[in-house]
Amino acid sequence: MEHIIYTKNLTKEYKRFEKEAGLKGSIKSLFDRQFTVKTAVGSFDMEIEEGEFVGLIGPNGAGKTTLVNLLTGIIAPTNGDISVMGYYPNTLENEFKKQYAVVMGQKSQLFFELTPQDTFGLFKELYEIPDSEYKHNVDYFVDLFGVSQFLNVQVRTLSLGERMKMELIVALLHNPRVLFLDEPTIGLDAVAQRQMRSFLKEVNRDKGTTILLTSHYMEDVRSLCSRSIVVNDGHKLYDGDTDRLFDAYQSHKKITVMLEKHSAFIAPKGAEVLEENEHKVVLLVPKECTSDMLAAIMQDFHPQDISVEEEDIGNVVERIYAGGAYA
Amino acid sequence: MKKNLRFIWLLLKLKISHLMVFRFSFFGAFFADGVLFLVQLLTFSIIYGQVDTIGNWNRGQMLIFIGTFSMINGLNMMIYFFGLLSIPQKIREGGLDLYITKPGNTLLRLTFESINLGSAPLILLSGGIIAYGVSMLHTVVTLPLVLGYAVMVLLMTLLYYDMELILRTLPFFVLSDNAINRLEGEMLDLNFKIPGVLFKGGFKVIFYFVLPYGIMATVPTQLLSGVLTPLGLVHALGVVVVFTAFALWFWKFGLRHYKSASS
Repeated sequence: MEHIIYTKNLTKEYKRFEKEAGLKGSIKSLFDRQFTVKTAVGSFDMEIEEGEFVGLIGPNGAGKTTLVNLLTGIIAPTNGDISVMGYYPNTLENEFKKQYAVVMGQKSQLFFELTPQDTFGLFKELYEIPDSEYKHNVDYFVDLFGVSQFLNVQVRTLSLGERMKMELIVALLHNPRVLFLDEPTIGLDAVAQRQMRSFLKEVNRDKGTTILLTSHYMEDVRSLCSRSIVVNDGHKLYDGDTDRLFDAYQSHKKITVMLEKHSAFIAPKGAEVLEENEHKVVLLVPKECTSDMLAAIMQDFHPQDISVEEEDIGNVVERIYAGGAYA
Repeated sequence: MKKNLRFIWLLLKLKISHLMVFRFSFFGAFFADGVLFLVQLLTFSIIYGQVDTIGNWNRGQMLIFIGTFSMINGLNMMIYFFGLLSIPQKIREGGLDLYITKPGNTLLRLTFESINLGSAPLILLSGGIIAYGVSMLHTVVTLPLVLGYAVMVLLMTLLYYDMELILRTLPFFVLSDNAINRLEGEMLDLNFKIPGVLFKGGFKVIFYFVLPYGIMATVPTQLLSGVLTPLGLVHALGVVVVFTAFALWFWKFGLRHYKSASS
């Protein structure tokens, strides 16, 4: 079976200008330009089947966004093979662009001075969506995302969470076969993040859309993707089952405790203090001790608020390195 | 192409309707550009009010020249200026990503996406100044002459577009375009005040061939006042063709070198 996304030895290199420090270095660089080559993505192999929900995870600067840019045709590879739905992305054919969508958490595709309803109409023209399909999809997504009350207000007046829902709707109106999501939950509060995850799950299940999600939030990947690809320094460290990844390499949880008065707080034995100020303490605790430590903190210190998160991706990457479990 | 134009037309209709709903933006834009025009007119009246001829151009030709440059500038401001202005920032910050990944022509969308009707009064007032200038020429104005002038103004507006596009494509290759923008501002300022016929020697070469700001208002004025030579017409058309072809090639070349930016 042909893969919907396929890369072999995919490489992207950038030439970067470098100069020595200080004025002398600046003057020298005017006449003698020095460049270094940075490999953003190196010999990357990846095969994704239609309908999969794959998480592309890694710390900041790992090469996730470069990979998405290569797959969507925004930039051209330096070397290697790449195919998305049978197309070479960088030729940017309209027929190719009509079959995928991309949502970038920090870049908006909405028209801020227009209303979401008008924006949907513009995307209908852009993607030449037939009337019946357009109407059906608008009704389906507006209902799914619960945004009917925001359709006729200017986009600029929407909150970040409401705007992200609209971003997803405009991206999905033309029934893309592949959806690229680049940090879609960045900046959202915990409630909006949960809502976003639930919508994405439903879209993947109901519409069969292949989704490639890049995120450095472990929660996103754990709750959405059955398969994960861990990237660091442009190279693949792990490609496989998400549960296995978390079981094998995520040994800790992060507990954030909000206190009325910090002076009385003493970190439980076995917990590492990551951050500490007058009203807040962030602890890194072994996964198997999480519930015991939570109970102890609740009983002894009566915190105002307490939350548990997955630990940062950076720690997981370090353990994969240490364990030598390369893909 | 048809699909691109349908998209632009719908976008324009929506923007106009929203400008009218949010009335402050609508009237605010009219007010700002109207004041700008009056300031320009005052400046010109101070500079040229005391003289009847400059070089071999009479007062009527000078008024047509001022009105023509003002009209080309108004068309530029209304149709594509704000769209093109946003390109360098989109290149630097990765904002082009969302244009490149959409069906349709990226440049066409960027060009027409930020149409600003606030400059419409500037165009109308410029038309008034040109008509007044023509009345001072005491020449017979025929329909073919007016149509020819209109076509030439549109061609020079296209040339203005080419120059702006070339300069705004440079950020694909350089980090800072401040010096280029300053140079463009100075060139425009100079050529807004001095007709191209007054340039001699090296300046003529620069403003007629290299940075052809010198012909933008000069050639339509010469056409309307009946002094444009066949060679002048061929030169103007040639410059428009060459610069349009180069601007479009340079844009495509730049797009191939787009590096985006990490989120």
